[in-house]
Amino acid sequence: MNVALGIDLGSTTTKAVMLDEDERVLGRGITNSRSNYDLAAQIARDEAFVGARFELLRRELNDDAFCKRLEARFRRRQHLSQLARLRETAMRETESERVARIATPLRERLERIFDDMETDAHRRLVAPKGSDFFRDLANSAFSAAATRYADRDVTFEDLMSVFDKAIIQVENTRLDLTFESNIRAALADCGGDDAQARAVDRVVATELNVIGTIGTGYGRQRLPFPKDSIRSEILCHGLGAHHMFPRTATVLDIGGQDTKAIQVDKNGIVTSFQMNDRCAAGCGRYLGYIADEMSMGVHELGPMAMQSTRRVKITSTCTVFAGAELRDRLTMGQRREDILAGLHRAIILRAMALLARSGGIDEEFTFTGGVANNEAAVSALRELVRENYGERTINISPSSIYTGALGAALFALRDARNRRAAA
Amino acid sequence: MILTAGVDVGTSAVKVAFVESPEGGGRERPGARVVAKWTERIRRRDQREVIKLAYGAALEQANVRPDDVDYVATTGEGELVDFRTGHFYGMTAHARGALFLDPETRAVVDVGALHGRAIKLDERSKVLGYRMTSQCASGSGQFLENIARYLGVSLDEIGPLSRTSTSPEKISGICAVLAETDVINMVSRGIAVQDILRGIHESMANRFLKLLRSAKVTDGVVLITGGLSADEGLLACMCDLAADMKSFAIDVRTHPDAAYAGALGAALWGAYRHERLRERRAA
Repeated sequence: MNVALGIDLGSTTTKAVMLDEDERVLGRGITNSRSNYDLAAQIARDEAFVGARFELLRRELNDDAFCKRLEARFRRRQHLSQLARLRETAMRETESERVARIATPLRERLERIFDDMETDAHRRLVAPKGSDFFRDLANSAFSAAATRYADRDVTFEDLMSVFDKAIIQVENTRLDLTFESNIRAALADCGGDDAQARAVDRVVATELNVIGTIGTGYGRQRLPFPKDSIRSEILCHGLGAHHMFPRTATVLDIGGQDTKAIQVDKNGIVTSFQMNDRCAAGCGRYLGYIADEMSMGVHELGPMAMQSTRRVKITSTCTVFAGAELRDRLTMGQRREDILAGLHRAIILRAMALLARSGGIDEEFTFTGGVANNEAAVSALRELVRENYGERTINISPSSIYTGALGAALFALRDARNRRAAA
Repeated sequence: MILTAGVDVGTSAVKVAFVESPEGGGRERPGARVVAKWTERIRRRDQREVIKLAYGAALEQANVRPDDVDYVATTGEGELVDFRTGHFYGMTAHARGALFLDPETRAVVDVGALHGRAIKLDERSKVLGYRMTSQCASGSGQFLENIARYLGVSLDEIGPLSRTSTSPEKISGICAVLAETDVINMVSRGIAVQDILRGIHESMANRFLKLLRSAKVTDGVVLITGGLSADEGLLACMCDLAADMKSFAIDVRTHPDAAYAGALGAALWGAYRHERLRERRAA
């Protein structure tokens, strides 16, 4: 079957969306961005293929519960093979001159750490906290185990430095984590019957013929794509948001490195837009920086801010200044919850200024980007929208992080249609 | 002899200086001598704890007990120092400290972690005018420190590296938080580390020269103080750029103890005020 791909290479994550010819989403893939842009794009693309084959299987079997179980087993297989590679790489690191002094006890502790990590793999995948990228899962599991086995001979730092070196290597090699090579083992794991096995075979045999790919996002200029396969992220975002919520007139996207306010017409074509000017105040990194300052995970900020009873007014604009202000206020004895509520309002206030400059907020209003998953940011946005523009429908999609990639995939599909019409 | 302490609480470090000065020295404190100095970087620690640590280390270095100190003078975020005797404004403390370090000083450029400021003063350390940088950390000390971390350069390597640059990269107005990706981009475009650093120094130097101009400083000795005063790359840039500017005849200098200018100034003012208080009590 014919499919089109959109790839959004962001500053923090890389996303891929696969569409069938009816503009229906077939698969999505996401990975953390890394210095090797090509590889990040490839991995996101591979993941979109995996997602697509699972979608095809769901369509074949019409058995959601089984598909869910099978996918869980599949993810575990993937995770274990990445873990095996990590173990192998870490062990190779112990041969380095740098750790010759402690090589034997180091190896012995690493074996125990990785044994624990394999035993725990299931639990880790069922309830991932924060991020579910291999890098982050492995990091938290490894450091938890390392605390247990570190002692005076082999310190926590010794163990972590092996991990740091190994994870970069694992992350920068492409592993075979495809549907085709892992699905049969996963099927055996959950005891699939013959009918299910035949359905899996049919899905594996289905050819996914990519008729077009468009790249977008922060790193788009660096993708190994021809020039006409690169589209601006503003255009992609507008079209993607329109596809998710067809009545969208205004889009606000708060991503890792930039914030965009976009106005689109009834076809999803951008009519005007404003972007913040290379400043972290008012974009996702602002919250990331604050989370680092407080030694918290960025996912914990929203829930904590929601506990506020008396919001603090933050006077600094610049992220670094706001971080200093946060420290000052904490030293003065103000509550973390109240300061965080103020910080969330501050980021949304910046976005409101951007929206105003782009032409205001029309009905309907769609909020996308990683920050759209933060309840405190959403609540601040609702409040400010009501104060400034009255009642507006605010659309938030759980898969809004894929908006740009979705728009890119739509462009890819349209370009392919146009090419075909021209031929 | 009067023994006073100056505690300068900044955003990224606490600086403590102990000064001993002969009785009856008035504002100028002739014969004043530094008996101890200590810097403790805050690095996300509790500021009050860091202040105690730094003050304790300085006491030990001076080999005195807390009771031996006649006056504890603070500047910067001094309200965090609960054992202070009195507090002094950053501008007046800096002016006094700068004049103590170099009596020819007629203007100060204080380069801190977040703020930069230019202070114009007279030969008696009276502040004649000042200007501060805006509410953005781009081009601040913290900014340079972040960049150095992304580039894998330690703080004391920044200056020497910057001085070897042959074609500085033009850098200005880059967000201190987003700089990481910008720097990765520059490195992947093949721009040498020293050219990036020199580019940042030039953009900072330009900013400070503008500040000086708007504080109406056009000639005389300008002393660089604050955390970045030891950065020879920044100093070199300031000198080079100032030399190229018309109707600008400043002589940019620094001093090995210039990071302590605020603390020293506070300690000197503290000695003066201590004497005045004693006189008043006696009268």
